[in-house]
Amino acid sequence: MEKTEVTINGAKNVVQVDDDTPLLWILRDTLGLTGTKFGCGVGVCGACMVLANGQAVRSCQIPCSAAAGRNFTTIEGLSPNGSHPCQRAWLEEEVAQCGFCQPGMIMTACALLRENPNPTDELIDKVMSDSVCRCGTYPRMRRAIRRAAEQMRSPKQC
Amino acid sequence: MLTSRRKFLKTAALSGASLVIGFNGVRLLHGAKTSAPFKPNAWIRIDADGIVTLTIGKSEMGQGVRTSLAMLLAEELEADWTHIKLVQASPWPGSDLGTGGSDSIRSSWKPLRQAGAAARQMLATAAAAQWKVDRSSCTASHGAIIHSPSGRSLNYGELVGDAAKLPVPQDPPLKDKRNFKIIGQRTSRIDGHDIVTGKARYGIDVKIPGMLHASLERPPWDGAKVKRMQEDAARAVRGVRSVIKLSRGIAVVADSTWSAIKGRTALAAEWNDPPKDTFDSETHARRLETASRETGFITRSEKAPAGTGDITKTIEATYHYPFYAHAPVETMNCVADVREDHCTLWVPTQAPERLQNRVGELLGIPADKVEVNITLIGGGFGRRLGFDYAVEAAEISRAAKAPVQLLWSRADDMKHGHFQAASVHYLSAGFDAQGQPVAWKHTKAGSFHNISPLDPKEAHDAAWYQDWSWGAYDVPYAFPEIQTAYVTVDLPVKHGPWRAVFAPSSVFAREAFFDEVAQARGADPLAFRLEMLKGADVIKVGSTVDRRRLRRVLEVVRDKSGWGAPIAKGHGRGVACNAYFGHTYIAYVVDVAVDPGNNVRVEQVVAAVDCGLVVNPIGVGVARMHDTPTIEVHIVPSDGPEPFGMGEPPVPPIVPAIVNAVFAATGKRVRSLPIRPEHFRG
Ligand code: FES
Ligand code: FES
Repeated sequence: MEKTEVTINGAKNVVQVDDDTPLLWILRDTLGLTGTKFGCGVGVCGACMVLANGQAVRSCQIPCSAAAGRNFTTIEGLSPNGSHPCQRAWLEEEVAQCGFCQPGMIMTACALLRENPNPTDELIDKVMSDSVCRCGTYPRMRRAIRRAAEQMRSPKQC
Repeated sequence: MLTSRRKFLKTAALSGASLVIGFNGVRLLHGAKTSAPFKPNAWIRIDADGIVTLTIGKSEMGQGVRTSLAMLLAEELEADWTHIKLVQASPWPGSDLGTGGSDSIRSSWKPLRQAGAAARQMLATAAAAQWKVDRSSCTASHGAIIHSPSGRSLNYGELVGDAAKLPVPQDPPLKDKRNFKIIGQRTSRIDGHDIVTGKARYGIDVKIPGMLHASLERPPWDGAKVKRMQEDAARAVRGVRSVIKLSRGIAVVADSTWSAIKGRTALAAEWNDPPKDTFDSETHARRLETASRETGFITRSEKAPAGTGDITKTIEATYHYPFYAHAPVETMNCVADVREDHCTLWVPTQAPERLQNRVGELLGIPADKVEVNITLIGGGFGRRLGFDYAVEAAEISRAAKAPVQLLWSRADDMKHGHFQAASVHYLSAGFDAQGQPVAWKHTKAGSFHNISPLDPKEAHDAAWYQDWSWGAYDVPYAFPEIQTAYVTVDLPVKHGPWRAVFAPSSVFAREAFFDEVAQARGADPLAFRLEMLKGADVIKVGSTVDRRRLRRVLEVVRDKSGWGAPIAKGHGRGVACNAYFGHTYIAYVVDVAVDPGNNVRVEQVVAAVDCGLVVNPIGVGVARMHDTPTIEVHIVPSDGPEPFGMGEPPVPPIVPAIVNAVFAATGKRVRSLPIRPEHFRG
């Protein structure tokens, strides 16, 4: 059990856990960042999505050994006070039902828009279909992503 | 779930400089002057800082109930929406906080408004006394009482001290529907911001000091025995504290979730071979099919009146409904802290009282020594009416002598879920010499829940059987002769309520078979539905069905969907409708595309909904599918008296609308679910 340094939301943390401990559980159990959710633990639901150097990754699939030295952003660190265009669009479009999948969905959407500021509906569907919302909020998510894209493109918003 | 829940206005109590009004009885009583214990089902408190706290017992699992209830209160109280705070109630003996059957809004509608109105009146009285003016010259708005003639105003917070000393009005006048400012407006979720910032706390997010983590290896079937396991290997995993044999499996308890998961993997439990005659779903489906030919318990029987034509032709069909898993994204979990003579639970549950009783029984302590903290719920769908996971957590905490969080893996959820039971529906229709349908018969063969069983004292009478064939016995169409029946078939696997309870299977069979009847008649399925909804406007069959409201939602989807317009080859349009429990009326027109390999894609859904008064239009949604089509929802203005929830009603009629559209596209009937190419029948 080595000491490992992981950077989460800009802060360096030294954690002492087994090498195979998934980042998900480091976030949730060790660091108390419970906004990142557990839904399956096997990489299929997307509830655990975080950003690694800006790319969406499933934290349940990243062992501590692979997390060392990388920069991660969780839902808690996405913006001060929920002001990221995705978060705002999510609220404006009233996306959430139970809300449990939503942090993962928002992180996925952020990464998508970062890569692709003007995604087609097909691309939105393709990327978002890798995650599961059991409440079926897909149509509202689609609208929220379009709205966030617009806000991010208009310079005075950013 | 179907028993009417008595919810009345009751007690008021005083506490410091706050005004507290609770409700669960027919009367509002002054807390200080009554010996009755202050045990309302919910209560409101207005503090000196003007914050209005609403404590409610309904579980939030995505239906937005917290927001809707807060809206009801804010409306009558004329409160400032931004000053409303919500707190989740914990159950106590005799409380009734369960969430199910989409009745949260319906059961809270009146008492909550009355409590708000009573508080408003008390605050106005207090202000009038201070100003020495007549109360009728004072009005309430945005969390303040205003005396317009003199331009004075006082915030609620400034008035609570005086108001709390006043008697609680017993029958405060409620606002007229026409003056509603908040109810019926789209209002943002009260917890929306917490959700998008990751602050919302679900059951899985609970942390208490000294808490350990557990993973439980359960027997794969009832009575299974462990053949082999590597206890030492499990103990050797870093962080594992103990491996405990319990009545419901083998628990690995550890310092962290990951250590518990690893410990359980290391345990590598092997179970003895299953008995030969174990259950499989194909055999069960055949048993159901055989049973569906029996007479069963007759849930509705109407004989054709004299003069009805003789039956000269009959059609029949058998519909299969599969097992369904709930699979909410948040898996089952519970934090239990069992002490000598009491126990505290933090648990996402839809059934707090039954859970409390069951855990009390397990621990041999009175139910009121079991404190239940209801957390946010990451998807319920009926799964959390079961409380197996809370009982497990309590048993583990007792054995581990520490607070423990039990977390189910996704595999646990799939293997040990409480499926919705499969059912088979046998339907037939008789036609007279003119080809007019004159008889309808629907027999459902299915199984009663065997988890969270209903009270065994509950009579197995007609009403009881009707509940289990909801959607079948209340067929809304005017066939001169109607017979519906229910046949019970034993089912050893765990099964329980699923979203929309028993209706989806029956409504699927009924609405799909109705299309077959229309086809046999040579009629347009939508026009034929309207035709068969003639006769008495209101029929009473256990629940009341208002055919006018059903006709209206059908007319709306007909007009909005372009029903009857030509449609491309390989595409089809289908319709279905339902009166959910006599409260919520829904019709769908669905467009599908079917490719040459019989793969179905739903392209468009047009829905019309009449759920009485709509409290918060945002709570109304029909999204259900992964291949999400465009969905258009029309809320039909209603003269229905009371609001009814929208959590469950959208579910039942969507599937039959889809299979009816598949028929329109391909000429093939889908009588078994899920909709797969192999289920297409020529
Ligand atoms: S928890 Fe990581 S993908 Fe499901
Ligand atoms: S909002 Fe409930 S799972 Fe997506």
